[in-house]
Amino acid sequence: MNEFRQFAGLRFRRQLTSPRVLTYAAAALFVAAVICVSAQAQQGAITAPSAAGLTPSQTARAEELGKRLKCMCGGCDDAAGMCTHSGGNFAGPCDTAKAELKEIGDRVTKGESDDQILQAFVQEYGPTVLIEPPKKGFDLLAWVMPIALPIFAVLLVWGVVTRWRERAAVAPAGGLPVDPALLVRAHRESGDGDE
Amino acid sequence: MDIFGSFALLLAWLLAIYAFIAGIAGIITKRALLIKSARNAGMAVCVLVALAVATLEYFLQTDNFSLAYVAEHSNTALPWYYKFAALWSGQEGSLLWWTFLLSIYVFFALFLNRKRHPELMPYVGVILAGVQIFFLTLNNFVESVNPFRILGAADGTGMMHMARIAEGSGLNPLLQYPEMVIHPPMLYSGYTGFTIPFAFALAALLGRYPGEKWIHITRRWTMVAWTFQTIGILLGAHWAYAVLGWGGYWSWDPVENASLLPWITATAFLHSVMMQEKRGMMKVWNVWLVFSTFMLCILGTMLTRTGLVSSVHAFAESNIGGWFYSFLGIILAVCIVAWYKNRDYLRSDNQLDSLVSRESSFLFNNLILLAACFAVLWGTLFPIFSEWITGNKISVGAPFFNKVNVPIALFLIFLTGVGPLLAWRKTSLDGLRRNFAWPAAVGVASGIAAYIFGFRNFYALICLILSVFVTLTIFSEFYRGARVIAARDHTDLFTAARELTMRNTRRYGGYIVHFGMIVIFIGIMGSAFNKDVEREMHVGDTMTIGPYSLLVQNYDEDTNANYDAQRATMEVFRDGKSVMMLYPERRTYSASQVTETIVAVESSPLRDLYVVYSGISPDTNQPVIHAYLNPLVKWIWFGGVIVVLGTGLAMLPNRRSGIVLRPVETRIGEPITHGGVVAPAVGPITHRASLNE
Repeated sequence: MNEFRQFAGLRFRRQLTSPRVLTYAAAALFVAAVICVSAQAQQGAITAPSAAGLTPSQTARAEELGKRLKCMCGGCDDAAGMCTHSGGNFAGPCDTAKAELKEIGDRVTKGESDDQILQAFVQEYGPTVLIEPPKKGFDLLAWVMPIALPIFAVLLVWGVVTRWRERAAVAPAGGLPVDPALLVRAHRESGDGDE
Repeated sequence: MDIFGSFALLLAWLLAIYAFIAGIAGIITKRALLIKSARNAGMAVCVLVALAVATLEYFLQTDNFSLAYVAEHSNTALPWYYKFAALWSGQEGSLLWWTFLLSIYVFFALFLNRKRHPELMPYVGVILAGVQIFFLTLNNFVESVNPFRILGAADGTGMMHMARIAEGSGLNPLLQYPEMVIHPPMLYSGYTGFTIPFAFALAALLGRYPGEKWIHITRRWTMVAWTFQTIGILLGAHWAYAVLGWGGYWSWDPVENASLLPWITATAFLHSVMMQEKRGMMKVWNVWLVFSTFMLCILGTMLTRTGLVSSVHAFAESNIGGWFYSFLGIILAVCIVAWYKNRDYLRSDNQLDSLVSRESSFLFNNLILLAACFAVLWGTLFPIFSEWITGNKISVGAPFFNKVNVPIALFLIFLTGVGPLLAWRKTSLDGLRRNFAWPAAVGVASGIAAYIFGFRNFYALICLILSVFVTLTIFSEFYRGARVIAARDHTDLFTAARELTMRNTRRYGGYIVHFGMIVIFIGIMGSAFNKDVEREMHVGDTMTIGPYSLLVQNYDEDTNANYDAQRATMEVFRDGKSVMMLYPERRTYSASQVTETIVAVESSPLRDLYVVYSGISPDTNQPVIHAYLNPLVKWIWFGGVIVVLGTGLAMLPNRRSGIVLRPVETRIGEPITHGGVVAPAVGPITHRASLNE
């Protein structure tokens, strides 16, 4: 077992008992990370000019919806709420996006729910107006596959590994009969571990 | 003169066909002269394509607008370096550029191995020639992508005459940016470079080349292509950030995704390659990873060039889709047949001993990378599937990709920390605890501290914890190795760390690449805290964003031959003190009459202040300023530099300490023998191992 550990590159254990430098490095990194992160967190939130007649919570909802609906001008692939129309004459939301945002604002004021508003847009423009595929019908596959396939793959790998291990148990690994002590020495003298 | 270019291109096509046929004949008849002749033809293709490229470049530089390509993509006022870059700015030129870069790779692959691997190289030559034939056929015979098409006009009798116009329509202003001169060559060098590993893998399979040799040969080529692809992708992201003026660098556009896909599979290959080298496992997997990488390159080119999926920065739609479908079909068929007929050649030498081992961590690493690749590919192509099946056009936008890929990426970061420290074959729980306990503890502690300080984004918090954890495991690896060397050689830790790295460049170069990726991920994490303000601003108005106040001092205009610029002069204050001036611009290019944003960015490691002059609002006729505060973006570019340096290091050969013989006292006239061999009296020697190619 000992030889095996050494083979595996775990031979620096004893020297690790007083990892002072490491602790310093860790502390420095930790402090740097916390400073960076808290500096970001402390900045004030932006105060976007709210549309006329909307309460702050309604504004937030309208903004959120604006990010879920696509700008339908055909010249960009952005959400209506993110449209900056790169390359256009004015790098702000284009007329189409502005009309969509206004409609969102109006519908929010009327008290329509998020779903109602999204559906109203789908009625008007078709499902392509939704920036994400709808989570129903065939389009649900868009969401399911990226999760299902890796899970299936993990199960597959699990199965393969189990089979390998069973095979390994039946027929122990072959290879040249090398004296383990010699192997350990070879690794020690080469000065480096495995890759 | 255009005839010269066309002729060179045609001759290149003929030579590629000759290399293909003579190569096959050489393999069958085993005639050395035939094989040599095929190889020389393969190398000569490069020279001829270079002549064609030089011709097109000469036309661009001399403003010869009789050529359709020059008239459509250049104009007289364009500076020479953008005229140079115009070569790859349109469909036709960029496809020629593609062929050219491919032929350079082919040249070097054939030339460097001309005296090596005699059983393998004829196959490699044939496969490479096959790929070249495809691209040269497009260049030569598909009218819409022929770079040497002449502008013509028909007279009354229907006779075509050469037309020469006085001024071209100019280069797309979006492309008039320094990165755009470097980005496409880098990315294409990546894309085309993956052809070489593909050729070697397929050749080894077809020729049943013994052992793992193809893996050794291929690894370095893959790393070269991977490095170019990495640089290309990052330059593209930086270009998007600096030019498009929307405050972001990655929008999950199909063309961006297309460049990411082969990069991911190549990354998986560079990892799983070690499984085959060290343990003789995953042979089928590796072969298919290389095949997939190449096919994804071709698929990516197809997505970019055929308008199959809508993308904001694809080339103009063209009719070359059918060619690409056929080519992809042929490659897939060849790969499947080659694999099926020779699958016994790929049998594994070893089995997996434990689920907690380096082997299984490689398996998981590959699985997760492929999951990411699949998620991106699936999202990119899903609108097509959906339209086929349901008849509805749907959108798969950036939020989808973010939702699906962020958890995958986080798991990948976790594996980056855990994988390299697991032992081959089997790791004991005890070993796990000793390796990971304190980096994990510090990671979690920094997470808790960040939460207390008001850091509330879930994914960003996980990313922070994992980044700290992985960074610590990487540094502890360096530290532990360096300490042993320092103690033995009586040197300081820094020298020892350098010595350690040079002795095992692959391993420690790999760690540096991992560290670079962590730095990139920290930069990406910053996007969770992006802020922006958009406002109409007159001269004298002030807006506040984060710790900065922006004061508009002036709006002015500037004119030169290439463009007219409208410029805002803004003073930036922090804590009441003036800290800098920013000059965001809008340029209207004379030739194309397209208006473009020139963003003013003040970049610091902590955050970028990114100011866009949006122009005059059509509603109110007032100038509008859009300011963004993007935290930690600089880390992405810095991380990219670390990744490239690390990869460069990993490509260096290892420095090995030689056998150390003690200095011995010798007396004249009395040779000292050790077992009959005269031992030279030498001190420590070090030498570099030769390239393992």
